[in-house]
Amino acid sequence: MSDQLTFTHRVRRASRALSGAIVLTSTALLLGASCADAQDRRAILALADAGRLDDAEAAARAAGSSEAVTLGDVLVLRGRLDAADSAYAAAIAVRAPLARVAQIGRAELLERRGAIDQALTAAEVIAEAYRRDGRAWSAEEHLAAGRAWVLLSRTDARLAQQALAAFDAAFAADPTLLDARVRVGVLFLTKYAAADAKKSFDEVLGVRADHPGALAGLARLQEFEGSSEAMETARKALASNPALVPAHVVVARLHLDAEAYDSARVATDRALAVDSTAVDAWAIRAAAGWLVGDSAQYRMARARAEAIDAKPADFFATLAEAAVRHRRYSDGVRWAEEAVAIDPRSVRALGVLGTNQLRLGDIPTGRATLERAFAADPYNTWHKNTLDLLDAMSGFRVAERGRFRLVTSPEEAALMEVYLLPLLEEAYDSLATRYRWTPSRAVRFEVFRNHADFSVRAIGLNGLGALGVSFGDVLAMDAPSARDPGTFNWGSTAWHELAHTFTLGASANRVPRWLSEGLSVLEERRARRGWGATASPEFLAAYKAGQLRPLSRINDGFMRPRYPGEIQFSYYLASLVCEMLEREFGAVVFPALLEAFRQGLETSDAFQRATKQPLDSLDARFTRYMTSRFGTALGNLEAGEGPGDVRGPYVDALRAGAEAMASKRADAARAAFERAQAMLPGVEPVNGPSWYLARLALERGDTVAAITQLQRITQVHESALAPNTLEAELHAARGDDRALMQALERIIWTSPYDAAVHVQLAEAAARVGAWPVAVRERRAVLATRPADPLEARYQLARALQGAGDLTAARREVLGILETAPGFEQAQALLLELRQPPGGAR
Amino acid sequence: MRPSHVLRRALLTALLLSGVWTTSLAAQQQHVLIITGLGGEPAYRAAFADVARRLHDVAATRWRVPAAQITALVEDPTRDPQRFRGRSTKDAVAAAFLAMAGRVKPGDLVFVFLHGHGSGVGPEATVNLAGPDPTAADYATYLSGFTQQTIVFVNAASASGDFTRVLAGPRRVVLTSTKSSVERNETQFAGHFVRGLESLEADGNKDGRVSVLEAFDYARRETEKAYEAANKLLTEHALLSDSTLAATVAFGARATSSDPRVAALIAERTALEEQVTALRARKSTMPEATYDAELERLLVAIAEKTRAIRAAGGTP
Repeated sequence: MSDQLTFTHRVRRASRALSGAIVLTSTALLLGASCADAQDRRAILALADAGRLDDAEAAARAAGSSEAVTLGDVLVLRGRLDAADSAYAAAIAVRAPLARVAQIGRAELLERRGAIDQALTAAEVIAEAYRRDGRAWSAEEHLAAGRAWVLLSRTDARLAQQALAAFDAAFAADPTLLDARVRVGVLFLTKYAAADAKKSFDEVLGVRADHPGALAGLARLQEFEGSSEAMETARKALASNPALVPAHVVVARLHLDAEAYDSARVATDRALAVDSTAVDAWAIRAAAGWLVGDSAQYRMARARAEAIDAKPADFFATLAEAAVRHRRYSDGVRWAEEAVAIDPRSVRALGVLGTNQLRLGDIPTGRATLERAFAADPYNTWHKNTLDLLDAMSGFRVAERGRFRLVTSPEEAALMEVYLLPLLEEAYDSLATRYRWTPSRAVRFEVFRNHADFSVRAIGLNGLGALGVSFGDVLAMDAPSARDPGTFNWGSTAWHELAHTFTLGASANRVPRWLSEGLSVLEERRARRGWGATASPEFLAAYKAGQLRPLSRINDGFMRPRYPGEIQFSYYLASLVCEMLEREFGAVVFPALLEAFRQGLETSDAFQRATKQPLDSLDARFTRYMTSRFGTALGNLEAGEGPGDVRGPYVDALRAGAEAMASKRADAARAAFERAQAMLPGVEPVNGPSWYLARLALERGDTVAAITQLQRITQVHESALAPNTLEAELHAARGDDRALMQALERIIWTSPYDAAVHVQLAEAAARVGAWPVAVRERRAVLATRPADPLEARYQLARALQGAGDLTAARREVLGILETAPGFEQAQALLLELRQPPGGAR
Repeated sequence: MRPSHVLRRALLTALLLSGVWTTSLAAQQQHVLIITGLGGEPAYRAAFADVARRLHDVAATRWRVPAAQITALVEDPTRDPQRFRGRSTKDAVAAAFLAMAGRVKPGDLVFVFLHGHGSGVGPEATVNLAGPDPTAADYATYLSGFTQQTIVFVNAASASGDFTRVLAGPRRVVLTSTKSSVERNETQFAGHFVRGLESLEADGNKDGRVSVLEAFDYARRETEKAYEAANKLLTEHALLSDSTLAATVAFGARATSSDPRVAALIAERTALEEQVTALRARKSTMPEATYDAELERLLVAIAEKTRAIRAAGGTP
């Protein structure tokens, strides 16, 4: 009796607590509801949905056996799995109206505990009953059936269709059952069908803008797409339901990706405080520990996960994914192998394993693994895309030269081999010296004509904005033909990606992302004059306005961009930081930093060791560096309304020049542009005053002045096709072959497919006796599949002759004449080559 | 008006009157008929006229076809009255064939080039001219009398593919820019075909002449590259009716000389070239070093013959 009274008293106290509650459902707003009203299942679940799990549990208990299923559901949310199972069992025993919901609840609990076969058996019972008479089921029962099909789809992916149908039936039976739609979205997410998933989540959010489940699903989707909105969306979900474990898990993963390990730990703590059986949260906790070398934390988390499920395949799959997102691909493969060993049917684990075997360059094994994943689930877009790509790549040409394996489509192979292989060898030597490390095997470099193929290679789906990607000693990038001419420099991109090989390798893949990117951009600038990112008015205005990250948080600029251009700015910012570090501490600072990371030091400790300075103090140094380098320019720029907008005296002068130019006042225009130019020393916008001054110079016939202005641009901008083309024309007109050659080389690294450019460069090179260049260019002409290949081969033979390689020249000529014995010019060359040096036969 | 059977009788009559057959290559004449149709828009009008003009010039200057043996019928002959003989109508086309029939001798080469907007299927396939359009069947009638000449018929229009099977026959090479009447998009074949002829880029074996096969291969290849460079799906697939014959029919004059010494050198060189061809056929059966040595010997000998021809004042 006393216990009952105590229980009643607790209920009354709960009801007073509920009196101020706002229950957020689309049909039942229970402002000021009493506990008695909350006995309704929806009301209880609404409390749970608002994160008020104590209240929800109390209300469910108060309702007695009629809400046993609801109690079970709440207990599951709290991670009290045994109690939940008892509640479900009780509901089933009394044949409660929602007994089927209890059945699937129990089946899912079995799954969570790793008793997969029993879970499948239990789910099959529900499925069988549904097949028999599911049409008459209630909305909640349809939902239960859908959950059963989801479980059963572990062994037969086609059953996902049945799940979708059941969820749809649930929603049709009760359009207020928004959970049905959320589950559809989640199901699509598991198949990487992003558009369909988004549609489902948006549909729910259209009804209820703060639906926590839909927001959490949307956050997962945004996370997968690399959207900067993911964190905000997850936080919105948590604002709606502070106890929503999936949202906490998303937040934890986002922190982990941003290398904010402490924040990741805090987020997992919050998740585990709600549900200590959340294996995903333990997995992220384990990953956070492992990534920083905290083996105790890793072991603790693993032990807790194994206490829930003795063979937690998903735990290891999550670890694998975390490792991969930190570029620890070998470790990712290791964890994924462990997951597959536990559950050979796990599509998720097979997918992670296969994808990363491919990233490590083990194409046959990776392909075989993905075939297994695809056979188990043919609806997985990621796996299908990747297998389709591998089919296409089976026709690629592989050139093994020196320290590289170049893998390209047959159409691109010849041209890529002419340029890329020598460039990569040059880069290799430079980087090996600087970073005191060399790869243990040949570097595999894949080049894709089609950007969609490159994107699939990189992330399994179309839509990646990057130009290249590094997986260590396996690199991939867009071919120049994958983009519009003039949009990127394919030489500097190749150099950039190879630099990652060295910084990742030297640090055992522990280098922070910002530092690896910063060094890669810096190495681009070292490779060739004008390569690599350069300062722009937009960048400097953003810097001045505080829109860029301090050194201590520079990684956030890559991982959590606050506006669209921040990632791009962060690349350049990181490279400036590296420049400053080198200036202040010498070139040895980088090998020292990478070694510190290799040894497992966190960023602040690594910097302390390498620079003997605390990380925070480097912010001040960088500020001084920026002031000394860009002080004048910064004084003439102001940030506009949004990031990337620019105002200030520079813009005013530029505008004045443009207006004067439009009204044909050349002198006034020139004066204004020169004024603008002087305001930004050390900064050369690609469409800035120099371009206009060049055009004005041409209008008055001053070619020398035009060239001077154009070179200000072309010496700084790596893909300025129009200025380089104009500069080349001017040099050609003046007969300045050496300057012409430089301009043409720059053009080729932006757009190499115009045979006429190669011919022009070959001819200029021959004129100045630069025969190796002439030979290379004649080979490039042949690689462009010229309209007259025999003529092109003849010119190559001439260039070989000029270079003194008479054996190769003769071989070439004989090859030409074998095809075309009547080719008179080649005949004459053959006779020439047969003459002994210095005289006729 | 029903010109077809009337025309056929006229053609046969003309041919009978043209004299005794001869197969002497040295006496072979080339006859060129260029027909371009209605453009519909200024850009197409200009493009078709440009192709006609360039082809006219190739025939006149490179192939050295006498002016009287070149007929260009276009949409607007006033654009270039020096080159364009008349407006391209069905009657004018029929009359041009008739006139050509009156000129040709046995063994001559007849080159017909047709370009414009094509349509229709099978024998009813046409290229759009002003007024009624001659069909493929009509063109077959026009050509029916040229039994002792070699015919090269190029239809570079869209939807031209069916002309191949309607016009194919002995001593005929038919080229079309598309493989069927279904490929109806604007074609690029004509421009590349003409460029190959005028630039000699199509001269694959560098013998100073462009064979029909070389011209076809060049145009097809360059067309494909153009689509690839523009990142567009290839919507035209050129066809050639007889590649064997096409390899033996060439535009332009062979090297000859009235000087017996030079003529003998040319003949010797031709024999050496034939030995190279025979050697290549045996390549797979020979040791590499033996093949290479023999090839070089022959090629050096050919080169020396060419040098000798030049030294003797001949044109190789």
